[in-house]
Parts: sequence; C-alpha cells; structure tokens
Amino acid sequence: MTKVFTIMGALAACVCYTMPAAAADHTVGALFPLSGPNAVYGDVFMAGSDLAVEHINADHMLSGPMAIAYEDSQGLPQPAVVGMTKLVNVTGVPYTLSAFTGVSKAISTLAMRNSVIAVNGGGVGPDLADLGDYFWNVIPLANLEVRAAVPYLVDTLGLKKIALIYVDDPLGQALKDELETEMPKAGGELVDSFSVPTSAQQFSGVAAQVRATGADAVYVASYGNQQLQIVKQLRDNGVDAQIATYSGYAVPDALALPESEGMIITGQSVDFSREDPVTKRFVHDFKAKYDRDPTAYNVNYYNATLLYGILAAALEADGTAITGEALLAKRRATKSFDLVGGTVSFQDNGTLLFPIEVKQIKGGRAEAVTSVSFN
Amino acid sequence: MEAYIYNLVNLIAIYAILAVTLNFIMGYAGIYSLAHAVFFGLGAYVAAWVALHVHPSIFVTLPAAMASAAALSLLLALPALRVRGEYFVAASLGLQVLAVTVFSEWKSFTGGIGGVLAIPPADVFGVEVFKPQHFAIVSIIALIVVIGLINALVHSSFGRNLRAIRDSESAAASFGKNVPMIKTLSVVISAALAAIAGALYASYMSFINVESFTLDTSVLVMAMVIIGGTGTVAGPIVGAALLMLLPSAISWIDFLPQTEVGALQQIIYGLGMTLLMIFRPGGIVGRRAAV
Amino acid sequence: MLAIQLAITGLQTGALYALTAVGFSLIFGSTRIFHFAHGATFVIAAYLFYWVYGTGWGLVPGVLAATLGAVLFGLVLDRLVYVPIQRHEGSFFTVFVASFGVGIAVQNVIGMIFGRGFTSVSTPLSRSAEIIPGVYVSPLAWIAMLCTALLLGALHFFLRRTHTGTALRALADDPELVRTFGLNPRRIAATAFVVGSALVVPAAIITSATTGLNPTIGHHVMLISLAATIVGGIGSISGTMLAGLLLGLAESLALLVVDSQWTEAVTFAILFAFIIIRPSGLLGRIAAH
Repeated sequence: MTKVFTIMGALAACVCYTMPAAAADHTVGALFPLSGPNAVYGDVFMAGSDLAVEHINADHMLSGPMAIAYEDSQGLPQPAVVGMTKLVNVTGVPYTLSAFTGVSKAISTLAMRNSVIAVNGGGVGPDLADLGDYFWNVIPLANLEVRAAVPYLVDTLGLKKIALIYVDDPLGQALKDELETEMPKAGGELVDSFSVPTSAQQFSGVAAQVRATGADAVYVASYGNQQLQIVKQLRDNGVDAQIATYSGYAVPDALALPESEGMIITGQSVDFSREDPVTKRFVHDFKAKYDRDPTAYNVNYYNATLLYGILAAALEADGTAITGEALLAKRRATKSFDLVGGTVSFQDNGTLLFPIEVKQIKGGRAEAVTSVSFN
Repeated sequence: MEAYIYNLVNLIAIYAILAVTLNFIMGYAGIYSLAHAVFFGLGAYVAAWVALHVHPSIFVTLPAAMASAAALSLLLALPALRVRGEYFVAASLGLQVLAVTVFSEWKSFTGGIGGVLAIPPADVFGVEVFKPQHFAIVSIIALIVVIGLINALVHSSFGRNLRAIRDSESAAASFGKNVPMIKTLSVVISAALAAIAGALYASYMSFINVESFTLDTSVLVMAMVIIGGTGTVAGPIVGAALLMLLPSAISWIDFLPQTEVGALQQIIYGLGMTLLMIFRPGGIVGRRAAV
Repeated sequence: MLAIQLAITGLQTGALYALTAVGFSLIFGSTRIFHFAHGATFVIAAYLFYWVYGTGWGLVPGVLAATLGAVLFGLVLDRLVYVPIQRHEGSFFTVFVASFGVGIAVQNVIGMIFGRGFTSVSTPLSRSAEIIPGVYVSPLAWIAMLCTALLLGALHFFLRRTHTGTALRALADDPELVRTFGLNPRRIAATAFVVGSALVVPAAIITSATTGLNPTIGHHVMLISLAATIVGGIGSISGTMLAGLLLGLAESLALLVVDSQWTEAVTFAILFAFIIIRPSGLLGRIAAH
C-alpha cells in the first residue's frame, strides 16, 4: 500500500513539474526586466501577474489552465525586441504584458504587425498613449503625475523654481516636455534641466550644477538604481532643496534609502479599502502570499492579467478563437471591467484613467497628502 | 519551433558576417580593432534611415550603408597607420566610446536610447521579406557573398601584401609596398562589409537602438573570432554560431533560474576566452596549439 | 563658484583615477602585460570591503579583506594565466584577450553573488560641508586626496630608493639586466602585481561610499586607467598620475560646457587625440612603434 502511494506521489510530482511549461492551454507573454539593474521591478510586476494567474486557474475562468511565458527584457529596448520576436513567432501568444517606456515603444511595432495585444502596467511615458490599437495601458501615464505634482509643489508648498535632472531616454524626455508646459501654467518656473546618460553613476558634478541654479526644488526623472544614486549624491553634495519625483521611485529599495526622507512622490491612487469582491480578494490573497502590502505596480499587472482572463472567457463563451484581433474587438465591445480598485472603462486610445495621489516619504513609507482626479 | 530555429539562423548569419569581416583585419592585417560595432551600428542606422525616407529595397539600403561605413572607417585607419599593438587597441576603444555617445545623442538620426521604430521590412525585387524563414534566405546569401569576397581577397596579391605587413611592416615597405594604402584599404573593406550586417539587422529587427552597438558588441564579435580561430576561414563562423547558440543552450537547463542565464552565458564565454588563450591560442579551428 | 566646485569634484575623481591608473601603469609598464582585468581587481576589492564592513566587522578588517582580495587576485592571475601564456607566446593580444575574459567572468560572478543592483556603504563621511560659501567638500574628498598623495609618495620612494623598486623599473627596459643582478624577473613581476593591485584598494573603498557600486563599474575603471596610462606615457608613473588627475578634472569641468552624457566622450577624445598626435604621451619615453 505504501508503495502505491509512493508511486502516485511520484507521478503527481512529475505532472506538477512539467505542467507550467507545456500543458497550459492559455499562454500569454510577458516582457519584464528579470536581470540587469532593473531586475528589482521584475519581481514586483511578477508578484501581481502570478497572483492573477492563480486566481484565474482556481476559478476555472478559462477552458484550460493559464500560464505566463516570461521573457527577460532587462528593461531595455533591444533585449525586449528579441524576447517579443520569440513570443510572437515561437510561443505564439495573442497577448503580452509589457513594462518600461523604452521597451514598450520598441515592441509596439511587432505587436501591431502581428496583431498581438501588448498591455503596459509599468511604463509611464506619456507617448505610450499613442502606440496604436494593439497597445493598451492599465496605468495612468506620467503626464497626469506631473499635472498633479506641479500644482502641489508650486501652490501648496510655495516652491516656484524647480530644476530637473532627467535620464536621457524617451521617459526622461517626455517628463521634461511635460514639466516645461506645466510649470508656467502653475505660475512656477523650470529654471534649468540637466540630462544624464542611462548608464551614469557619478552625479556630484550635476549636483553642483543643481545647487548653482538656486532652485527651490529638484525634480528627478530617472528609474532603477540610477534614481537612488542621484538622490543619495544630491544630498551628499549639499543639495538641501525639496526633491520630487514620479511613480518610478515607489520600489522598496528607494523608499528605504535614508536620503529619501521627505521626498514628494506621485503615483496612481488605489483604494485598497474598497469593499468590492475583486479588490478584497486581491488585497487579502496578496498579503497572504507575499506577506507585505501590495503596491500600485502589483495591482496593475494583476489587472492586466485578469483583463486577459475576462476577455478570453467572454470569447470562449461566444465560441470565438482567441486572437489579438478578437481580444481587441471584445475590449471595445465591453463597456466596463471590474478590476482591482473599482469598475473602470478604457478611453478610446486604450488607456485607463486612475486618480493620482501626491505622497511624501516619511520613515521609509510613502504617505498620501492629497489626491487629484482627472476626467 | 521552426520559426525559433530560423530566427537563430538569421542572428548567426548576421553576426558571422561581423566576425568574418573583423577576422579579415585582425587575422590577416594584425589590426586588433575593438570598434567593429561602430560600423555595424552605422550600417544599421543608415539603412534604417534610407528605408524609412528613401526606399526600402536592399539594393538601395545596402550600398548606402556600405558607403557611409567605408567613409567613417578612415577615422580608424588613421591610428592604424600611426601606431600598433596596445596603442591601436586603445585608439579603437576610444573611437567605440565616442561613437556610442554620438549614437545616443544624435537623436534626429538615431533616436537616442529610444531608437528607430517601425523600420520597414527588407524589400528584395519588390517582395517584402520579414518572416524569419524567408529572411534566412537573404541573410545566408549575404553571408556567402561576404565570405566569398573575403576569401578571394585573402588569396589575391592584396592578401599576400597584407600578411607581409602583418609579419613585418618595415620589410614590406622596403620591398616597395605602399603600406599606408594597403592598410587603409583593408580597414575600409572590412568596415563596408560589416555595414551589410548592420543593414540586415535593422530591417530584420524593425527596431534598432544604441544598445546593440556598444563596446559589449565589439567584444562579443572579437570573442567570436578568437574562440573560433583568428586568421582561419571557418573559425569566425564557428565562433559566431557557438556564441549565438550558447544562450539558447543554457536556457534548456531547467533547474537554472531564468534570471541567471545571461550571467552564466557571460561567465562561460569569459572563461572560455581565457582558457583558450592559455591552452589553444589559435582558437577551436586554428592549428596553433599551445606547446 | 560653480567652476571652483567642479574643479574640486574633479580633483577628487582625478585623485582616485590616478591611484587606479598608476596601479595599472606599474604592472603594464614593468611587465608589458596588458592587464585588462585590473578593473576586476577594483570590483573584487570594493565588494569585499562592502561585504566585510557591511556585515559589521568594522573598518580595519574591511580594508584588510579588500587588500588581501585584490593582491591575491592579482597574484593568482599572474601565476595561472599570464605566466603560462607568456611561456609559449609573447603576443600582447593573447594576454589581453585572456585578461579580458577574466574581467567578464568576475563581473558576472560578483553580480550573481551580490546582485546586479546598486549598493553603497553608508557613512556620514560622504556628507559634504560648506568650506567657503557655495563650495561643498565632503570629508571623503579630503581622504581621497590625502590617500593618493601619501600612497604615490610611498610608491615613489619604493621605486627610487629600494633595491626591488629599482629592479622593477629596470624590468621594463631589460629583463636580462635584472637577471644579471641576481634577481628573478618572475619574482619582480609578481611584486609589480602585488603593488599595482593593492593601489586600487583606497579608490575602491572610497567609491563604495561616494558613488556606490555595481558589478559593471570595473569596466569604467579599466577604461580610465588605460586612457591615463597612454595619455601619461607608457612607462611613466608620474605621467600616469598627472593624466589621471587631468582626466578627472576634464570630466568634471566639461560640465561647464556640455551635458553630462558627453563627459565620457571628452575623456576618450583626449585619448584618441593623444594617440594620433603624441603617442608617447605627456611624459613618456618609449616610442609607440
């Protein structure tokens, strides 16, 4: 008898072991930074998407099990295109999760040409709204963040002169353009802006330049490890001005940095105390699984994955094959979706609107100070 | 699965063109360049620009890419005429770093880090080629043509002159050879042919940015030549295939976390280079074994 | 004011460049080994310090561990890689490729162990204080300049006044001469590796507290060392030191004119110009051919 159990156990182990790779009927792709300096984001994104897959499979939402084929983008355009080529041509997915502004722009051509949906829940470059029908955003883009941050800095805190340090890539450029238009509108002034290359680590010279501008506040537009180094070196080199930044800073390493104390940071507002079943289940299971509070990034990739589940289930109910075209048509035909954070609708350009929260970092945590809605 | 294999075939063919052209100056002229990615990149950017703004036919993009790379290569020929050995390696490094900065900053032409998007597929006699299995025909033909050209050159009197210069510059000069001319020509030819790889890469990927043309790429191509066998015909091709297959081979190892694949690949090729230099400096194909 | 501030920042950077570059220059100048893994030595020393100091062992054990790690790495590399290669082949390129391979491997091994992210050693010493209105200098900047001055002074004494030092200088010109004095050229070469590798330690430690570390930092260190060695003139220690300071200054002062993404290009434009116009460098004696 024991022997039978042993054999059955071994068999079961085999099945479990081989399942995720081969047996899934519903495979979607994901291009996340799994290595390189931005790998810290990959873990955060996967925490959300993996939980959604668990929920979809536990509920038997789809005819067969669902799985995600992860490809390593390193957060950089070139590896992302290689990964996307593989997902489209080899794995043959109809739907991919994307992250990072540069990555998303780079893969958007492939998504369009092959009619594969790409959903971004991490990149916030404002031009991500214009990447075509097959490119969707489940995250409010940074133009909204700047529009929320600037009035708070200028009016509420009275910091009229702002200097900008921005990374020399599509995201940094976009944030710079946005600040250039928003600052005069709020009655402030962008006194100077300094670009840094994506690979730079030395910012003492830039810090000296920032100090020389006499700005009341510094806006830091970078991501990954670099933004931590910028903030640390600004403080080390005698810049005492208020530092402000966007949602890219909301990663544990950055919040825990002692130099981050008092920084202003914006980000999408998610009401985790909502009573709707989707939000409640997400918050409860997330805490149970990862033993920490969820962040907006976790929510976005949970939502992006859940969105596939909802659309694919609807297509299966219609008896339609699940292709990129069909998913796009279904999304357009569906008025609203019940996702974490409430019932939401897509704008015509494929982007979801969320309110933006202005927060301040205190004791390693970001505490909300005000919230701004856009409609 | 088929598409996956054809995808690899395309990448191997493109990198083999780079390795073969680098081998031409490294193996036969003794010019150890760490700036090969510059010409790969320039070829890609020019081809992308021509395809987007003029015409996507490869009979327009390829000549344009080759001509611009040939012109820029004069910058590399300059130190090649003045200095040798370590000095030239350093000079080519300098050129590589400068080029990366220009590629990142000349945004109207290269798009910076954001890159060039939506490059049209290669147009061959009016047919759009973008599926990996179709593109494989184009890339393999290009590779064969490049290998054929280089082989013909190596076995011509030009090739003999090159080897004479590599072995002793002063002896070649005393035999009345026009040393500066021969050296410059070899650099120009190598750069122009490397640009073919760039042009193919741009139209195949439909997206390019500066990250593909950094020092790391130059080092990778150099590693292909050295691991395969410097100064041999088959060496660079073997090296290219080996190093391009390495990541796929490693990703078959199931128990390895996905995040470590890249690092492990780098460790293998780093240590591979070192061990080969100790025990078999001639490379895998080379005849020169350590004694 | 900005110019003064940038000059001071540049001096701090330059002092560290000078130390690392002199280490490379010493090894390269005396043994003619193109020791490209010098950047890896830097990374190993920095991470060992970060690890030992970060786990709470304190400053002295941290410095000792870093020094021991750097010196051992240099010695082992010389013994296991360079000596066997030189036994059967003299080509600088073979040595260079082998060394380069080691550099790549070390960078990735460090990345696997310590993570590929940014890490830094937290110390109040990296906080700048205002010395004159508008000019901020951190205690570490003074320490960097002091360390450089002391160590380079000691090195000068070692090379000029001691028996081994003289032999080391003679090794570059004529290994046979060293032998006739009853010294073993191999032993002298090993000494060059010990001293050259140890010289990166202060720079590695100070960098871990100022700009922070990541495994790819060795690359930049190596490129700068190579540039300083050539701009200074191969074989000239004082030339390398001067060039290291100049490159640091140029990188920082360039910010007055261009955006920071051009600073690396400035360094390499200087290098490129030197190779074409004056290959023997600032103070070099050996011709390039």
